[in-house]
Amino acid sequence: MLHDTRAGRLHRFARAASLEETWMKATAPAALVLAGIVFSMLSPYFATWRNVNGMLADAAIPVLLAVGMTFAVMLAGIDLSMAGTMALASVVFGLSYTAGWGLALSCLLSIGVGLVVGVVNGLFVGRVRIPDMIVTLGTMGLVQGIGLIVSRGIPVPVSDPVLQAVASSSLGPFRYNFLIVVLVVVVLHVMLTHMPVGTHLLSVGDNVEASKAMGLRVPRVKLIGYLVCGAMSGLAAVFMVLYVGSTQPATNTDYVMKAVAATVLGGTSLFGGRATIWGPALGAVLLTVVQTGLTMAGVEAFYEPAVVGVVVLAAASMMRGRR
Amino acid sequence: MPGSHAVEVVDLYKSFGNVEALRGVSLTVRPGEVTAIVGDNGAGKSTLIKCLSGYHAADGGRILLDGQEVRFGSPLDARRQGIETVYQDLALADELTVWQNIFLNRELTVGPRPLRLMRRRAMRTSAAQLVDSLAVSVPSVGKTVRRLSGGQRQAVAIARAVMWSSQLVIMDEPTAALGLRETAQVEDLIRRVVDQGTTVLVISHNFEQVMRLSQQVWVMRGGRVVSGHRTADVSGVELVAEVTGAREFS
Ligand SMILES: Nc1ncnc2c1ncn2[C@@H]1O[C@H](COP(=O)(O)OP(=O)(O)OP(=O)(O)O)[C@@H](O)[C@H]1O
Ligand SMILES: [Mg+2]
Repeated sequence: MLHDTRAGRLHRFARAASLEETWMKATAPAALVLAGIVFSMLSPYFATWRNVNGMLADAAIPVLLAVGMTFAVMLAGIDLSMAGTMALASVVFGLSYTAGWGLALSCLLSIGVGLVVGVVNGLFVGRVRIPDMIVTLGTMGLVQGIGLIVSRGIPVPVSDPVLQAVASSSLGPFRYNFLIVVLVVVVLHVMLTHMPVGTHLLSVGDNVEASKAMGLRVPRVKLIGYLVCGAMSGLAAVFMVLYVGSTQPATNTDYVMKAVAATVLGGTSLFGGRATIWGPALGAVLLTVVQTGLTMAGVEAFYEPAVVGVVVLAAASMMRGRR
Repeated sequence: MPGSHAVEVVDLYKSFGNVEALRGVSLTVRPGEVTAIVGDNGAGKSTLIKCLSGYHAADGGRILLDGQEVRFGSPLDARRQGIETVYQDLALADELTVWQNIFLNRELTVGPRPLRLMRRRAMRTSAAQLVDSLAVSVPSVGKTVRRLSGGQRQAVAIARAVMWSSQLVIMDEPTAALGLRETAQVEDLIRRVVDQGTTVLVISHNFEQVMRLSQQVWVMRGGRVVSGHRTADVSGVELVAEVTGAREFS
């Protein structure tokens, strides 16, 4: 069927070299190493620890969104609402914090906003059975709107000593925010590969009928996937507040594109059923590294969305020959 | 005689939109036997067994297991009663490995409920033992199902059903994709399953196979059971005639 298409040939080539699986898994790490080498040659400052550490800190939000997005993509879905949810969650964080409810409760509320959006997405996708694209486009508009209405579009500064410490202090060589992200990645990895729910998510993403036949409650499994997406959007909002120092009521949809790009770069199948957590996490780090490297090499920031767009298309085309 | 049937289906109806797939099906399955269902394409065989396995909810009629009426809300309910099904369209997740498919929704775990961790190695090992003991041809339980041949997939689906069933195994054309040797293997397996006391309900288009394997055979046509025989009392030729509707019996 695919034999005469370019992707088909590429696919057969990859299989012939029996590299197919390795190929997909190696994309992000290999590209990361390559980018590191190229940018080190372009800028002497690139390979300093200071810069590397800074990039790892910059990667926090993209990594959180990418691993969250992976849970929608492994279900053969997508969550377009992540950036909007993040904006709304940051607004709610700001409201709670300025009301004097404290950091811990504000963080929980932020994640709570993500979970609520996740429930809505999950119920509409799983039970009402509306395509994920439409559902999350709708919730994107909704949360974006609510965020703007509630905040009147005005960012609220948040300066919390603990947040500042998380952003700038280190434990050993690593910043706290990087370490928190690593912890989250590890937890989600355990969930995906060592807990039954992980297998169930992959199974539902791969073959809904087969999953149903084995007695899996498909709507429930889908709900769990979108809940993880939502929780990651809410958590990313906290990181955005500590990163920027204020709430961000305006949605930046670049975050969604980057999350999808990282997910695909990380070897996640767009047809569902095949995913890792560390792949997309590395993919997000890669995108951050490329972004920083390009800036250092003197490329204008305006080029960035175009670069990410090309990466999405290229990585997705490499996937196309499959199945 | 309640209790003398492993399965009793009474006047089952099922429609998809305006397609009436089942129009009052009644049949019985005796315990410890192989019961066969034959019928042309579209006769409603798969729909019937999907009602039995909890995949579809019937629109009307009753299903009794050991004389007790049951109502399955989902395939999980049926699986909990010891009923396992090999679906015609296989029901394997391609991207998962053989062992993950065999243990799907039956994972071996340690730890308390919400934080249960899977015992990956234990599942892998026992899946390998299962496949070995059943003498079905599956290369390695660590392979993803996508990489298996049609026959090997069928073997995985059958192995899984045999492993988990305690009451009844339902097989929808289990040898349709298989070569001669593999067909013989599967028939052998069915005999062994029956010897262990499990009841088997099998759909087949292969009349010789029906004659070889089954003790009872039901003929379906147009969403109804048109006749039933002890297999010993009927010939393949007669069955063919009934399936096509050339002659009516019963
Ligand atoms: N999910 C469905 N939605 C709509 N119609 C269906 C569905 N499943 C089955 N049908 C219809 O119900 C009828 C019976 O189908 P069924 O699959 O039970 O036949 P079968 O006896 O198993 O045939 P075969 O020998 O080809 O497997 C057919 O007309 C089919 O088109
Ligand atoms: Mg059928």
